[in-house]
Amino acid sequence: MQQVENPLSAHAITHVNLQSLVQDGRVHSRAYTNQAIFDLEIDRIFHRSWIYVGHESEVPKPGDYQARPIGRTPVLMVRGKDNKVRVLVNRCRHRGAQVVETESGNTRMFRCWYHGWTYELTGALAEVTERGGYGPDFRTQNMGLVEVPRVASHRGFVFASIKAEGESLAEFLGGAAAQFDMLVDASPTGEIFLDAGTNKTEYMGNWKLVGMDGYHPNFVHASVVAGWARNSESGIGAMHREDPFSDEALTLTRYYGNGHAMLDFRAQRLKSYKKHAEFLSKVAGGVKYVEDMHKAYGKERAELLISLSGDPHLGVFPNLQLIGNQVRIITPITPGITQVTMSMVRLGGVSDEINTMRVRQHESFYGPAGSGSPDDAEIFERVQRGMMAEVNPWIEISRGMHREFVDTDGSVVGRITDEVPQRGQMKYWLHLMTQAA
Amino acid sequence: MDNQKLTQWSALREVELFLFREAELADQHLYKEWFALWTEELLYWVPCNSDEQAIGRKIALINDNRPELDERLFRLGTKFAHAQNPKSRLSRVIGNVVLQQWDADHGGCVTSRFNLTEVRAGRQLTFAGRQTHLLARQNGELRMREKHVYLANHDIPMPNLTFII
Ligand code: FES
Ligand SMILES: [Fe+2]
Repeated sequence: MQQVENPLSAHAITHVNLQSLVQDGRVHSRAYTNQAIFDLEIDRIFHRSWIYVGHESEVPKPGDYQARPIGRTPVLMVRGKDNKVRVLVNRCRHRGAQVVETESGNTRMFRCWYHGWTYELTGALAEVTERGGYGPDFRTQNMGLVEVPRVASHRGFVFASIKAEGESLAEFLGGAAAQFDMLVDASPTGEIFLDAGTNKTEYMGNWKLVGMDGYHPNFVHASVVAGWARNSESGIGAMHREDPFSDEALTLTRYYGNGHAMLDFRAQRLKSYKKHAEFLSKVAGGVKYVEDMHKAYGKERAELLISLSGDPHLGVFPNLQLIGNQVRIITPITPGITQVTMSMVRLGGVSDEINTMRVRQHESFYGPAGSGSPDDAEIFERVQRGMMAEVNPWIEISRGMHREFVDTDGSVVGRITDEVPQRGQMKYWLHLMTQAA
Repeated sequence: MDNQKLTQWSALREVELFLFREAELADQHLYKEWFALWTEELLYWVPCNSDEQAIGRKIALINDNRPELDERLFRLGTKFAHAQNPKSRLSRVIGNVVLQQWDADHGGCVTSRFNLTEVRAGRQLTFAGRQTHLLARQNGELRMREKHVYLANHDIPMPNLTFII
């Protein structure tokens, strides 16, 4: 092995050396470990792009708010008296204190407890204490909580962009937009509610590691696979299906552009539609659910939606994932620390028993004590430690380059184990990172 | 000390020794021995986000019945439970043990607090919280029917929790 010269000095990140980090089929590990690059990601990705902030169902009533970050910026997603959902920067216009300290709640107005300024739900400054201390030039109308300039929502998912101008949310989502339906329309009434709890997790690894990867399950989740084998022997594993993570399966990787990628289980799961419907028929309200779905969406689409059971397995770059029965937010903290929240989705228009069954499915695999998530986190931490070695710093992401193809809808498609998502994500990453302000 | 007081003290002591034994087996990852402390019907429940969560309506960190707990322990016992390979070194202390409701013949409800140190992968972490045990006496021995663990950190970003809590 030879020592590869640093393509990058922490003090001088240029387009040229950024470009040298992302090559055909390989990425330099410094894209995941370097503090200066991380700082640039916050500026050029998280403080510019459309970032998922939360779902409208998390602020159902006027005065409801959720405190979340956009990159390094603390924001409030708040529903006004006019029912409009706004995203406000959670920073007092006086001397900069964070105004709201609780993660969520309901309020009539916001008060900063440093010197007592108050703000309306719209962010407008309501009252300055001891007003006489400011002269006639002090304009309260210019001193509200800063509203994030662009806010848009798609099927209830609220995105915000700190950059004042740019492509619309619809343009940004592109072909990925339609995949949100696979989750929302798992409800026969097209309603979902993110009110059934949230796993909050943290791992010691880079935020870009938690992507769409169909190559890892048989190895990272080998203990779960071993459990399935044991259960089918004892007769419990009645739902045994073929391995969706082998190259022979109908499962695919799919890249929609702009960093958005999915593990496409549609064809593979649809094949087992009868088993899915049969499984549901054993849950109270399951037969009615199948009927309601057919009434709402017609046979062909209902069968697909039921088979997929609300899991588009979609990653929306850079911070949203729709996986399993959950909505995930990825939050970068440092190059080597990432937080992931997993909010359980409750379906509208279905029996409590169906939702409870979905909660149990989630609990068994996901979260810090689930059978799956901890091993994912463990492996990300191993990757982060391994990547500190730079004797040969290249991360190999060429798998399937020779067999990927462009589908009729323009998306790039590979087999389930192929690194189509990783290549797409890093190509778009480079595009954002090398864009002028 | 009158007789009633003595009975209360010995009941408390028996329960404490049971909790200490449970803690020791958990710290040592002795899954089989720990699993044997349970009754046939069981609930091992560690809520998430809030102590007052309706079981089944909102996600818990752990919500195991017997087959599910059996599966969890089986998985941890395989060579592929990466998050426990190598295993965590654990040390927990149980305290503030209070018999909430107790019947010498049948058992009852006991609350306590714990403080647990985990050392793994070069990191030292602390978990702490309150726990409720529903204990039943079977053939003279105490057994766990339910164990509820209310972690102090259940609503902040958490690291892996892959050992017996
Ligand atoms: S910093 Fe908020 S009122 Fe002074
Ligand atoms: Fe995984």
